Amino acid sequence: MPLDTQSAIIEMQGISKRFGPVRALEEASLTIHRGRIHGLVGANGAGKSTIIKVLAGILRPDAGTIRIDGQEVTRLTPALVEKLGVHFIHQDRLLVPTATVAEAIFLRHEPRIGPFLNLRAMRRRSAELLKHYFDLDLPADALVQDLTTAQQKIVQITRALAQEAKVLVLDEPTAALVKREVDSLFRVLRRLRDDGISVIFISHYMQEIEEICDEVTVMRNGTDVGVVDPRQSGIDEIVAMMINRDMGEMYPARSVAIGAPVLEVQGLSRDGSFRNVSLTLRAGEIVGLTGLLGSGVKELVQCLFGLDRPDAGRVAIDGQEVALGSPVQAVGRRIALLPEDRRAHGVAMGLSIADNIALASMQRYAKGGLVSAAKEAAIVDGLIRDLSIKTPHRHNLVRNLSGGNQQKVAIAKWLSCQSRIYVLDEPTVAVDVGAKVEIYNLMNRLAAEGAAILLMSSELEELVGMCDRTLVIYRGELIDEFTRAEADTDSLLAAASGAARKTARETA
Amino acid sequence: MLNLSTPMPIEERLKAISNYAVIFALVVIVAGFAIAAPSFLTGANLYNLILNNVVMLAIVAIAMTIVVSSGGIDLSVGVSVDMASMAFIMLLKAGVFVGTALFAGIGAALVVGLINAILITRLRISPFLATLGILFIGQSVQKIASGGGKPVYLANAKFAPTFNAIVKSEVLGIPTPMLILAAIAIAVYVLLHKSVFGRYIRALGAQPGVAWYSGIRVPFHTSLVYIIAAGLCGVTGILLSSTVKSYVPLSGDGYLLDAIGACFIGTTISAQRRPSVLGTLIGVLLLAVTRNGLLLVGWNFYWQQVGIGLLVFAVLALSFGLRGRGH
Ligand SMILES: Nc1ncnc2c1ncn2[C@@H]1O[C@H](COP(=O)(O)OP(=O)(O)OP(=O)(O)O)[C@@H](O)[C@H]1O
Ligand SMILES: [Mg+2]
Repeated sequence: MPLDTQSAIIEMQGISKRFGPVRALEEASLTIHRGRIHGLVGANGAGKSTIIKVLAGILRPDAGTIRIDGQEVTRLTPALVEKLGVHFIHQDRLLVPTATVAEAIFLRHEPRIGPFLNLRAMRRRSAELLKHYFDLDLPADALVQDLTTAQQKIVQITRALAQEAKVLVLDEPTAALVKREVDSLFRVLRRLRDDGISVIFISHYMQEIEEICDEVTVMRNGTDVGVVDPRQSGIDEIVAMMINRDMGEMYPARSVAIGAPVLEVQGLSRDGSFRNVSLTLRAGEIVGLTGLLGSGVKELVQCLFGLDRPDAGRVAIDGQEVALGSPVQAVGRRIALLPEDRRAHGVAMGLSIADNIALASMQRYAKGGLVSAAKEAAIVDGLIRDLSIKTPHRHNLVRNLSGGNQQKVAIAKWLSCQSRIYVLDEPTVAVDVGAKVEIYNLMNRLAAEGAAILLMSSELEELVGMCDRTLVIYRGELIDEFTRAEADTDSLLAAASGAARKTARETA
Repeated sequence: MLNLSTPMPIEERLKAISNYAVIFALVVIVAGFAIAAPSFLTGANLYNLILNNVVMLAIVAIAMTIVVSSGGIDLSVGVSVDMASMAFIMLLKAGVFVGTALFAGIGAALVVGLINAILITRLRISPFLATLGILFIGQSVQKIASGGGKPVYLANAKFAPTFNAIVKSEVLGIPTPMLILAAIAIAVYVLLHKSVFGRYIRALGAQPGVAWYSGIRVPFHTSLVYIIAAGLCGVTGILLSSTVKSYVPLSGDGYLLDAIGACFIGTTISAQRRPSVLGTLIGVLLLAVTRNGLLLVGWNFYWQQVGIGLLVFAVLALSFGLRGRGH
């Protein structure tokens, strides 16, 4: 497909940006055409978010030129860019937690009557927009902080969609969204494209890139290494350009002897969330857990980590009944929770990588109450290497890492703990394909070493590819269990939506 | 990606320089006063300045530094100072053994910290409101106990040796209060910057949700923070009442704003703008030197306050201005 430069709406050329010793962008270029959905892919830390922030006027580049609509702009500011019709959903900019849904959607574009806000219209319109785009019923007065991560993302996307945009830039909008929500988003994006609007779409999900993008810019180490048509070059070729090596099998095979039960849950209930859930995790086992939004899965996990208390039921570890009244006790029993909301609960952005990794297992780093710098260097650097966390030094702030590398730090914290039971809520969110495989390998290694893993994922392929068994929760009840042989994405989705399975299941 | 040999861009350098704005200000101010007021740089003045203005404030400011590091604030530091001072003086007056009176003084301050801890961790009141409440209550309690705010003097010669032993004595030629400050500064430095507990404090200050999700005993460590801070303030209470040989109700409140000021001025020496013991000590010096210098050049108390206010603005403007608008 010939690329018609006449119709370029955004041309970024030779953009460089350094943060101290880190070269985040080096002579990177990006050209976006009118009425196209343009994918931007690259490994964690390749510079995708950085080039987007340069375009948004948040970061000032050290070198390079930017043209919007054929006009060179030198001093970009967020306000100016928005005036030029370019709208953003950034990967790491959050909504104001104490704003309501309506306020978040209309922030800085509030409907007015004279000088006054038209609150009624705001509430009504926001409810309409959410319904229209995502078929989602969210109370307009709900506080952002009370929404799930996925709901917050949807509110952010809706805000951007509600603008009169010429270009819409979405930095990993689909992380943590389930298939149905992604489909809704794609429907909207296609409609916008057909109206002549351009979209920049960043994602680590290659199927999404293949499905929705008209052209794709691949970035590696701060530079663009090629523009391809995803319909001609397959996923494999794109991935090879991204990581510059062969990736191998996505879901590495493994053969592990399943051992004795580690975690046994008996008749666990929490009023209004889930009822009478019983499950067993054995040493060496990877068990999937899935359910739609509001099915009670999240609440169940909260109870397993002591963040919430069940109203009935028992939990036993290694055959011994335990009380999990708080995360202190859960961590004491060597349970690890990789939480879904990385920024609020996973990593402390203002602390260093080392501080974060050591936080949950300080006893390993201590010598008479003091932190041993030598032990810290040894353990932390080992984990940085193991997980290939991209950073110049362990003392760097987590805030300055790319999104995927932040996620790896959150995982490293629990590896440092040498936990036995891993509850992983969306472990590969925001992680690039290469690193994904590394994390899968790591999970397999942990299982082989005798850990038990409970895996939650909105990416059903991940459950199908990784889990020995997958449990499905529907409306608060554990309604089905799939073995590795039985599981496929369609049947998991059907079960999670409450469709009964045809075949009777007597054997467990 | 990594190339350490390339020179730092201007922006980065300014940022690095901005960390030293407060030290630069201190040097300029000392030099300025040395020229403007001949008596400023004399041994006697500096000695007095440090013993009477720096040591006691510095201990309270260090206590504040611990609390601020944990993401909190303690508005009741003055109450802890006063409670220690009141218990100490009243017990001495009642004829109790000095050692017991000392312990009781520190103990009274610790009780203030314990109450703060309970309000914050059990009743989940925000640190600002909890310690503000204790500030109000503490002031009233003192007024009631002292018959409307009458000081309790122990001018009696009988007590002079006790007080002198505390504030006028020397060890190896160094005044005891300075040694006490040095010991506290070093201990808190180790606590905040080298110990496991310090890591927990920092995590609490940076992101309490992450600390909780990492299995840290958040209520326990938060409680310790407020109790330790109050205990340190108690030390100042003992030093203060020994210096003035009396208990003067509400006299501890004078430390509150200076302690907060010193702590936040001190954050400008760290790249991450975090509180630190060293920064706080520099902040204390800056405030104390300025006040003393302005006094010597003849400004009265009210104009000194204006001077201090301008100074704080100048240091912060310099420090944050040099950082640029960031990225
Ligand atoms: N403020 C900053 N200070 C220092 N380094 C930074 C800063 N912001 C980004 N970087 C570094 O720049 C590089 C590019 O980061 P960027 O966020 O653009 O990556 P990305 O391609 O979006 O990755 P991801 O897929 O993980 O989101 C990374 O190495 C990152 O550590
Ligand atoms: Mg990114």
